[in-house]
Amino acid sequence: MQEIKRRYVIPGDKIIEGNYKPLMNVMKSGDYLISTRIGIAEAGKDGVKVIPLSGVYIPRVNDLVIGKVIDRSSLSWDIDINSCFFAHLPAQDVFGRDFSPARDDMGRQLNIGDLIIARIVSFDRTRDPMLTVQDKDLGKIPYGEFIKISPTRVPRLIGKRGSMIQTIEQATQTRVIIGQNGIVVVTGRDIEGLSLAVKAIKMVEEESHTTNLTQRVKSLLNVHDPSELEQSENAVSSTAEVSNDAVSSTAEVSNDAVSSTAEVSNDAVSSSSSTSSSTSSPTPPVTSDSSSQINLDTQEQSYSTAESQPQQQNFASVDSPNIKDDVEQSENDDASSNLADAYQKEKKQEANNEVV
Amino acid sequence: MNELTLIDEHGKRSDGRGIDDLRPIKITVGVIKNADGSAFIEFGKNKIIVAVYGPREVHPKHMALPDRCVLRCRYHMSPFSTDTRKNPAPSRREVEISKVIRESLEPSLILSDYPRAVIDVFVEVLQADGGSRCAGIIAASVALADAGINMRDLVSACAAGRLGDNIVLDINDLEDKEGDADMPVAYLPNIEQITLLQLDGKLSTSQFNECLNKAIQGCKLVYEIQKEALMKKYFGNELELKEEVV
Repeated sequence: MQEIKRRYVIPGDKIIEGNYKPLMNVMKSGDYLISTRIGIAEAGKDGVKVIPLSGVYIPRVNDLVIGKVIDRSSLSWDIDINSCFFAHLPAQDVFGRDFSPARDDMGRQLNIGDLIIARIVSFDRTRDPMLTVQDKDLGKIPYGEFIKISPTRVPRLIGKRGSMIQTIEQATQTRVIIGQNGIVVVTGRDIEGLSLAVKAIKMVEEESHTTNLTQRVKSLLNVHDPSELEQSENAVSSTAEVSNDAVSSTAEVSNDAVSSTAEVSNDAVSSSSSTSSSTSSPTPPVTSDSSSQINLDTQEQSYSTAESQPQQQNFASVDSPNIKDDVEQSENDDASSNLADAYQKEKKQEANNEVV
Repeated sequence: MNELTLIDEHGKRSDGRGIDDLRPIKITVGVIKNADGSAFIEFGKNKIIVAVYGPREVHPKHMALPDRCVLRCRYHMSPFSTDTRKNPAPSRREVEISKVIRESLEPSLILSDYPRAVIDVFVEVLQADGGSRCAGIIAASVALADAGINMRDLVSACAAGRLGDNIVLDINDLEDKEGDADMPVAYLPNIEQITLLQLDGKLSTSQFNECLNKAIQGCKLVYEIQKEALMKKYFGNELELKEEVV
C-alpha cells in the first residue's frame, strides 16, 4: 500500500483512489473513497478515515459519558447524554439483581437533575443506549463545575496520552472528569484554580484546531515548570506567615519563621528533584528566570510521566486509547511512528471490544 | 419591450452583469452559536441565515422513523424582507419552497446513519432579491456540513433563465418577474447529480439544454465558494488542501 497521507477535507472530497478499506466517516463512490465530514483525512495501511472536526455525539459501546437524570420510570432512569438518543440506566444496575420497584425507593439513589458518570454497555441502530454505573469511579457526581464542549474536541482536551488534561489538572490543583459526550466536570477546593481550569478548557475548545496549543495553555496557566510552581506557591504562603508573625510578636518568632521558610523551600526542591528523578531526565533546580530550554525539559518530563504511570485518577485518560487523540499528532514531526502506534492501539482496542 | 430593458445592446443586464455572470456571493459559516451548524449567505442582494439543529430527539415522537433520520425544513421570509410587508404566517409559496429545499438536500445526506432522530433546518430570508431558494439551499448545505452531519456531497444551487433569446445565468428579482423563463437547479458537484429542477416559463428543447448546462456551470462556481467558506472556518487561512506525507 501507499504511504500515509493526511489532508483537510470537506464532505464530498475525494480522498484517495483505489481499493482501500473505509474506516470512519468515509464512503465509497466508484473507484474513489470520499469524505462524509469536515475533518482531517488519513489514508494509511489499515484503511482510510476522516477525523471529524464538528458534529454531535453519537454513542459508542464502552464510552464513558457524563449524563443528567431527566426522568424516572418504575424500572429505570432516563439519562440525557448530550446526544440524539436518551440513555437508560436500569434500576437493577444500581440496586442489584433483587431490585423490586415496590420495596426500593429509586429516589434514594438518583433524583431528577443529578449528574452521573456512566459507561455505555450497549447501543445499536435499533435500541437506545444502555448505561451502567457498576464499575470503579462510576456513579453520581456530587459537585463540580459543569462545562459543555463539542464532543469532537474531547480528544484534543485529553491530549496525547492525557498530556493536556494533566497539565491543566496539575497547574490548577483540580480534578477534571471528561465524558466522551463532551461534558466536562471540574472539581477542586480552590475557586481560583477552578475558574482557571474552566478558562483553559474553554480555550482548548475554541482553539483546538490550531497548532502549538499546549504551549499557549501552559502560558495561560502560568506553567513554566511544575516544580517551580510548587516552590513559588510554598514560598508565597510561608512568607505570608512570616510577615504575620513578625507583626504580632518578636524577632525570635520571625527568625523561626524564616528558618521554616528555608525548610519548606528546601522540601519543595527536594520533592521536585525526587519527582524528576523518577523520570528519565532529571531537571536541575529551577529558578524564576528559567530559560526556554527548561520549558522543553518540562514538557518531556510530563509526557514521560504520563507514559510511565497510567492515570489512576483521571477517568477519561484511562480510556484514552479508545480516543482518537491523533489530531494532535499533526503537530509533531515524528508523527509516522506515533501514527503507526495509534493505529495499532486502535486495532487492539477494537479487538478487545469484540472480545468483550 | 422587455428584452431592451433587461439586456442592453452591449450584452449587459439590468444590474450590469454579463449573461454568464453570477451575482457576488459571500458565505459565512458558524454565525449562530446555539445552533449545531449555521451559515449566512449574501447572494447579490439576498441575505439569508440558516441554522441546523441535530441530529436530535424527535418531537412529537410519532414522527420518528425507525430506520433513518427525519429531515425537516422551514423556509421563511421575514416580514421586512420584501418591498411591501410580508405576512409572517407561512404562505403557500413558503410551504412549497420548504418542501423543495428539503427534497433537494435529502439526497446529499446519509440519513440512515441517524435512525430515530431528526435534523431541523431553518432558512430565514432577511432580504429577498430573486433566487432565494437557491441561496437558501447553498447556505443550508454549508450549515449541514458545519453541523457535522454525514453527507455524500455538498449541494450547490444556481438558477438560469431566458431573457428573450438569451439564456442567462443567475436570474435576479427583476429578471424573474419580467423575464421569459426561470430554472432553478440544485446539483451535487462531485457526484454529478441533480437534486432540484424547476422551471417557470417556456423553453424549447435546445434552450432547455443550454439553460440546464449553464445552471450546472453556475452550480460548480458556487461550489468553489461554499468550499472556500467551509475551509476558512475550519482550517483558517490555509485554503489550499494541506497535503503532507508522513
